[in-house]
Amino acid sequence: MDDLVYTIAFYILAAITIASAIGVVTKHNLVHSALLMALCFIGISGLYVLLQADFLAAVQILVYSGAVAILIVLGIMLTQRRSMENTNPNSGWPRGAAVVCALLFVVILIVIAATPWHYSSSMAAQDTPSVLARLLFTDYMVAFEAAAVLLLAAMMGAIVLAKGGEEK
Amino acid sequence: MQEVIGLFAISEILRGLLSQYFSNPQWIDLFMALINLGGILTVISMSAIVLVYAERKISAYMQVRIGPNRVGPWGTIQSVADMIKLMSKEDIIPDSADKKMWILAPVLLFIPSAAVYAVFPFDRQAIFADLNIGIFYFIAVASQSTLPFLMAGWSSNSKYALVGGMRTVAQMLSYEVPMAFSIVGVVMLTGSMRMSDIVAAQQHGWFIFLQPVAFVVYMIAAIAETNRAPFDLVECESELVAGPFTEYSGMRWALFFLAEYSNLLAASAIATTLFLGGWNGPWLPGWLWFFLKIGVMIFVFMWFRWTFPRLRIDQLMTFGWKVLLPLALVNVLITGIGIYSYKLFS
Amino acid sequence: MNITLLTSEIAIICLSLLIIILDLLLPRFETRRSLGYLAAAGVAGVFAYTCTQYGVSATVYQGLFTLDSFALFFKQIFLLAILLTLLFSFDYVEGLAKYQGEFYALLLLAVAGMMIMASANDLLTVFIGTELMTVTFYILVGYQFNSSKSSEAGMKYMILGSVSSAVLLYGVSWVYGCTGSIVFEQIAKHANTSLGMLFGFGLIVAGLFFKMALIPFHMWAPEIYEGAPTPITAMLSMGSKVAGLAVLLRMVFIAFVPMQAYWGGIVSIIAAITMIGGTVIAMWQTNIKRMMAYSSITQAGYMIVGLLSADASGIKSVLFYAMLYMFANVGVFATIIAVKKHHGSNEIKDFSGLAQQSPLLAVVMTVSLLSMAGIPPMAGFAGKLYVFSTVIEKGYLWLGLLGFVMSMISVYYYLNVTKVIYMNEPCVQKEFIVSQPLRIAALISLLATLWIGIYPGPLAELANTAARSLSIL
Repeated sequence: MDDLVYTIAFYILAAITIASAIGVVTKHNLVHSALLMALCFIGISGLYVLLQADFLAAVQILVYSGAVAILIVLGIMLTQRRSMENTNPNSGWPRGAAVVCALLFVVILIVIAATPWHYSSSMAAQDTPSVLARLLFTDYMVAFEAAAVLLLAAMMGAIVLAKGGEEK
Repeated sequence: MQEVIGLFAISEILRGLLSQYFSNPQWIDLFMALINLGGILTVISMSAIVLVYAERKISAYMQVRIGPNRVGPWGTIQSVADMIKLMSKEDIIPDSADKKMWILAPVLLFIPSAAVYAVFPFDRQAIFADLNIGIFYFIAVASQSTLPFLMAGWSSNSKYALVGGMRTVAQMLSYEVPMAFSIVGVVMLTGSMRMSDIVAAQQHGWFIFLQPVAFVVYMIAAIAETNRAPFDLVECESELVAGPFTEYSGMRWALFFLAEYSNLLAASAIATTLFLGGWNGPWLPGWLWFFLKIGVMIFVFMWFRWTFPRLRIDQLMTFGWKVLLPLALVNVLITGIGIYSYKLFS
Repeated sequence: MNITLLTSEIAIICLSLLIIILDLLLPRFETRRSLGYLAAAGVAGVFAYTCTQYGVSATVYQGLFTLDSFALFFKQIFLLAILLTLLFSFDYVEGLAKYQGEFYALLLLAVAGMMIMASANDLLTVFIGTELMTVTFYILVGYQFNSSKSSEAGMKYMILGSVSSAVLLYGVSWVYGCTGSIVFEQIAKHANTSLGMLFGFGLIVAGLFFKMALIPFHMWAPEIYEGAPTPITAMLSMGSKVAGLAVLLRMVFIAFVPMQAYWGGIVSIIAAITMIGGTVIAMWQTNIKRMMAYSSITQAGYMIVGLLSADASGIKSVLFYAMLYMFANVGVFATIIAVKKHHGSNEIKDFSGLAQQSPLLAVVMTVSLLSMAGIPPMAGFAGKLYVFSTVIEKGYLWLGLLGFVMSMISVYYYLNVTKVIYMNEPCVQKEFIVSQPLRIAALISLLATLWIGIYPGPLAELANTAARSLSIL
C-alpha cells in the first residue's frame, strides 16, 4: 500500500513539476511565468520529500520558492509597463528552439535508456541535518568556506553595481 | 493527573474507541490523522473569532473605551455576528483584475498559515508531525506566505494594492533573516531542530533566560512577519487603504483576515515553544500551559500594536538590516562561544 | 585535517577583507593607490611563501583539496599574473569613478577562486571555485559604470556564464549518478564508459571549454574582452583561461582516465578549429582588445593540443606554455593600458609612433607579441616547440603541422601591430606618461619572456616536477 501511495504521489508531483516548467517557458506574462516557477520548485521539493531528503526539501522551498517573490518584484519594476501582457515573449525562432529541445530530449532519453544504472542498497540517512552538517564541516569544508567567500563577493558586487551609475 | 487529561491520553482513548470498529491499523492511522487535522483547523478558525474579540476589547481598554458590548453578554458574540455579515456580503471582483490569480491568492495564503501548525507541540507527544527539521520547516513554510500577498497585490491591478504587495516582499523577506538567525541560537543550545527536543530541553529552564537577545529579536521580527503595527506598512490604512486586500471584500477578505490571525497565533506558539518552555509547567495539564503562554504572547503582541506608532518604510528596512540582523548574528556568535566554553569547563 | 595547506588561499582572502576594511577607514576623497600597493605587496608575500611549498603533496580531509606541485605551479601563475596586473593597473584604477578599493578586493577574490580551482580534487570544489572566479568577473567586467559597453559586456558575460555553469553542473550530476561519487579518485575507481558517463563528461568539458573560450564556445570572448576594464581583460585572458586549463588537466588525468579513448578525437578537432578560427578572425580586427581576444582563443587552442599526448611530457609542455603565455599577456596589456591612458581608445592605429614616444613599451609590446607568435629568441618558441613536438610524437602529425602553419599566419597580425608601432608617426603630440609600477611590470614581462626563450631549462624543469606530481601517469 505504501508503495502504491509513493508511486501515485511521485507521478502527481512529477506532472505538476513538468507542467509548470512548461508553463514557465510558454506563458507570455512574466508574473504568471514566475509564479509557475514557484510551483515547479514546490513540486521538486515534494520529490525531495519522497526521496526522504527532508532538509533539502525545506531548503528548496525556502531558498528557491522564496526567491521567486524577489524575481516578480524585479520583473515588475524593470519592465515598467501598464500591462504585463507580452513581457515574456518567445524567442524569434520558436520552431527551431523546439526542434533543438526535442533533439536534446531524445538524446537524454537514449542516454538514460542505454546507461546501466546502479541501485544503491543503503538506506536513506535518518537524521539528515546532522549528517549534512558533519559533511559540510569536514570533507567539504573548503567548498563550504569558499561558498561563503563567493556570497561575500556577490554581495559586494551587487552593492557596487547597484549604486555604481548614480553619480552622473 | 497530567497524563489523564493530556492530549496524548485523549488521542489514546480515541484510538481505543476506533479500534473497536476497524481492524486495519492503517485505517485507524488515517482516521486519527483526519481528526488531528480537524482539530488544528478548528483551533485556527476559532482563534480568529476569539482573537478579533480580544483585540477589540484590549484596544478599547487601552484607549479607555468600552469596545463591543451589544451582541451577547459583554459583546462576546460580536465576532460571530461579523463573520455572518462577511459571509453574506456580495462577492465583488474588480473588472481589471487578473481574475485567476486574484481568486487564488487568498486561498493560497491560507495554506502556509495552516501548514505550519503541523509541527507545533501542543502537549507531550501531541504533535501532528514531529519532523527532525521541525523549526526549519516552520521557517520554510512560513516564508511562502510572501508570494500570495504579492499575488493579491499585483493581480488587483490597483496602485495601493501593488505598493502594498511590493512592501510585503521587502518587509517579510528582510525580517525573515533576523528571525531565522534568532532561532539559530535556540537550535544551537538544543542541538536539534526537532520541536519535541526543543521543548524537552527547557524542562529545567526556559530559553528566554539563556537567549534574551534572541527572544527580543524574534519578537520584533515576528511582529514584522505578521504585518502588525508598528510594522504594518503593508496595509497601513492612512497610506494604502488596506494594502494588498484593498480590492477584496466579503468572504475573500475574511480569508485574509483569518490567515493574519492564524499567523499571529503561529508566531506566538513558536515564541512559546522556543523561549517559554512550550507545554512544560507544573500542576496544570501541558496543553493548558501551552495555550496560557500563547495567550500571554498574543497579549504582548496586541499591547505593542496599540502602544507604538507606525514606522516609515525606510526606517523599517534600516532597522531590520542594520540593527536586528547584526544583533542576531552577534547573538549566534556569543552563543557559540558560550557553548564552547561551557563544554570546556565542565 | 591539515589547514596549513590552505594558507595561501586564506592569506589572499584575508588580504581582500583587509582592503575592504581599510577602504572604509580611508577618507573619502583620498586616493586608493595605497590599497593597490598593499594588495601587490601582500600578493608578493604570498607568492614568496608558495615558493617554499614545493614538494608537498597532501590533502585537506578526504582528498577533496590537494596541494601538490601541480597545483602550486598554477597558483604561482595566478599570483604572478595578479601581481603584475596590479602593478600595471594602478593608474587605470585611479581613473575609475568609484569603488576603487572594492576593485582590488574583488580582483583578489577572483584569484582566490582560481587558486581553489587549481587545488580542487572533487567536482563540488571545482564548481565552487569556478563560480567564485566567474561571479567576481561578472561584476568586474561591468565595472566601468559610465560605459554602456562595459555594462553590456557584464550582462552578457553573466547570462552566458550562468548557462555554462548550469551545463557544467548538469554534467556533474550525471557523473555523480554514474559513479556515486564526486571525488576524482573515486570517480576513476568507478568510472566506466557507459553512455551516461560520457554524456556527463561531455557536459563538464563543454562547461570548462566555455571558461577557456575555445571555438565553438568562444562567442562571448570578443565582446566581453572589449567591454571589460583592461586589467580585467588581462586577468580574464590569463586567469580564467589558465584556471580552466588547470581543472581540465587534473580532471582528465585523474578522474576520467577511461575516457581518454574518446577524448583524443574530439579535442584534436576542437583544437584545430580553435587555432584556425582564432587566427583567421584575428586578422580582421582593428581594436587591439578584440584582436587580443581572438589571439587568446588561438593560444588556448595551442594549449589544449598539449593535452592530447596524455603523459607527463604533454602536461609539462602545457604548464610551460601557460607560464610564458601569462608573461607575454602582461607585456601586451601593460602597453595597452599605457596607450589607452594616452589616447583614450583601444584601436590598433593608436599605437602609431609608440616607438618614438616610449621605446621601452614598444620593445615590450613587440617582444610579447612575437613570443605569442612563436618567433625563436622569445619564450613562445620554446613553448610551442615543447607542445607540438610531444603531440607529434603521439602521432598527431597533422595537428602539429597545422599549429605550425597557424603560428606563421598569426605572425601577420602580430607584426601588423609592430609595424604600426615602429613605422607610423605619432598622431598625438603630447608627453607619453609611463608610471613607475607599469614600467616595472612591463620590464619583468620583457625579461621573463626573453630569459625563458633563451634559457628555458629551469622553468622546464619546474614544469616537469609539477607535471609529474599529477602522479597517475
